[in-house]
Amino acid sequence: MSDTPPGRRGPILEVPLPTEAISVRRKPAGEPESFFGRMNYNLQFIRGRGALEISIVLVVLLAGYVIASLISPTGFAFLNPNNLSGVISQSVPVLAILGLAAGILMISGEFDLSLGANITLSAIVFIKTSEAAGLWLGIAAGIGTGVAVALINGIIVVYTKIPSFIATLGMSFFWMGAGIFINGTSPAALTTSREGTMEYLFAHNFGSFRSQLVWLLIIGVLAWFFMHRHKLGNHIFAVGGNPAAAEAISIKTKRVKLMSFAIFGGLVGFAAILIAVRTSSIQPGGTATEDFTLFAIAAAVVGGTSLTGGRGSVIGIIVGAALIELIRNGLLLAKAPGFYITLFVGVTIVIAAIFNKLMEGKAR
Amino acid sequence: MSEALLRIEGVSKKYGPNTVLNDVSFEIGEGEVVGLLGDNGAGKSTLVKIMSGVVDSTAGDFYWDGQKIDKMNRNVTERLGVETIFQDSALVPQMTITRNIFMGREVTNRFGFMKMKEMDAVAADVLDSVVTIEGIKSPKQLVSSLSGGQAQAVAIARAVHFKRSLLILDEPTSALAVRATEALLGYLTQLKGEGVSSVLVTHNLHHAFQVCDRHIVMNHGKKIMDARREDTSVEELTAAVVEGAVGLARFRAGTF
Repeated sequence: MSDTPPGRRGPILEVPLPTEAISVRRKPAGEPESFFGRMNYNLQFIRGRGALEISIVLVVLLAGYVIASLISPTGFAFLNPNNLSGVISQSVPVLAILGLAAGILMISGEFDLSLGANITLSAIVFIKTSEAAGLWLGIAAGIGTGVAVALINGIIVVYTKIPSFIATLGMSFFWMGAGIFINGTSPAALTTSREGTMEYLFAHNFGSFRSQLVWLLIIGVLAWFFMHRHKLGNHIFAVGGNPAAAEAISIKTKRVKLMSFAIFGGLVGFAAILIAVRTSSIQPGGTATEDFTLFAIAAAVVGGTSLTGGRGSVIGIIVGAALIELIRNGLLLAKAPGFYITLFVGVTIVIAAIFNKLMEGKAR
Repeated sequence: MSEALLRIEGVSKKYGPNTVLNDVSFEIGEGEVVGLLGDNGAGKSTLVKIMSGVVDSTAGDFYWDGQKIDKMNRNVTERLGVETIFQDSALVPQMTITRNIFMGREVTNRFGFMKMKEMDAVAADVLDSVVTIEGIKSPKQLVSSLSGGQAQAVAIARAVHFKRSLLILDEPTSALAVRATEALLGYLTQLKGEGVSSVLVTHNLHHAFQVCDRHIVMNHGKKIMDARREDTSVEELTAAVVEGAVGLARFRAGTF
């Protein structure tokens, strides 16, 4: 924008803001004055944008769990501190961070199905580097691997214009193989380096909560401000919603998509560290991390993220992740056999997708 | 005489063996409203795409304020302040009106965070003042909740608000209600006073005749007519648009 166009005109792209209007902080016309009126008014703009409806479902489910647990503290031990800390502080944060990763990328209009393979590879690099060169280099290497893997996927998708579904599905096998290539088939394990700072940072039990929950809060707040209040987040929504319109207004759509892939990779790399520290060992080519691919996308979809891009919310995604983990936890507590769990999660996802489709029409 | 804002000379466009534009030349003066008329397939859209830098021309030269431009591409047209409002796909339906108006030109603090309240207030002003749009309650509404005409009007309001130097409007009135159309045409006239040039691409000769200083009629990829408003009439334009060069000749001979 600093270039002056040839000829007599100065820089043209200036925003002619009517500053008087700003100083008065005029409310848009038609906005009610009373508190409840305003609340009602603002509510109608939140409806159908993802977060509100799913939050109601979560609250209802939570209330049900609490009641069930109060009635039968041993039969349905939801309120048992160990259970609470395990679900709320361990399972939910990891899935929520991965859901945010997948969700932000989906808002930009792309998918990355190599998420699980990326976790495995980033976790292995994190484990190996921190064993050899210390925690801080390990963290940098782990997150760096996540970003690099996602960026390579992104470059393939953005410049060849192959649908990201296919490109990243293929790359997923490549990255899985890369994990075995650098580590061999035996598990990569954290030994002495896990003690102390690393454990404290990523997996410490503070009694009522664990380190992971703090990380989710930090990442959640940052992600919210980035996606919903920062101009780059705004560009991600624009590119996912209508690439032609974004292009016409000179948003660099390729750059924005690559940025989304990089953010995705950074969050996946970070989640890989949380997983590695919690479990102490990672199996290359294992299914434990592979499962996260679809669960992360599921969390995003349940949280109101559109499969076609342009729509989604940070709060919705976190709530979606919490809902999936709570359903999983509830089934475990009710002593349902393991394979029922995926069955129920599957149904939840499909219902959520249908629900979202219906709400999309209601959004205003 | 001062140089024209945009002068194009001998522009041609071929898609394979098909010649879509054939040696077209014209000028757009500063503050001038130019009507670009013609039937479907006359080459209007291609010309619009070339002027807005989306499509490369096969041959031809471009001059901006008398200076030659090597290549019209998106970067150049953005820098010069050319804004095109295409028939559709100007807005992101899943985003609010405010966010659409400020898309790519967000009002931010120095860390890049958007000033939502200010943007909402300005957007409300833009909606009130630029194009009177019936039925929009708040700039916080999603564009997907608007009718086609309302969305079009928002896109126009946006371009007008950012005072680009050359506005290319591709069939802007096709989806607008009568009152919104009147408001838009009125605003184009107003733009003239502010030195903003515009090109109005339309089928509707009456709309064009109402506001345009000059009319360019295209037919089968050629410019067949380029007349100031004083020198022509709706009837003559109709003859040229409907019947092409033959119709124009017949009209001028008095046998149309």
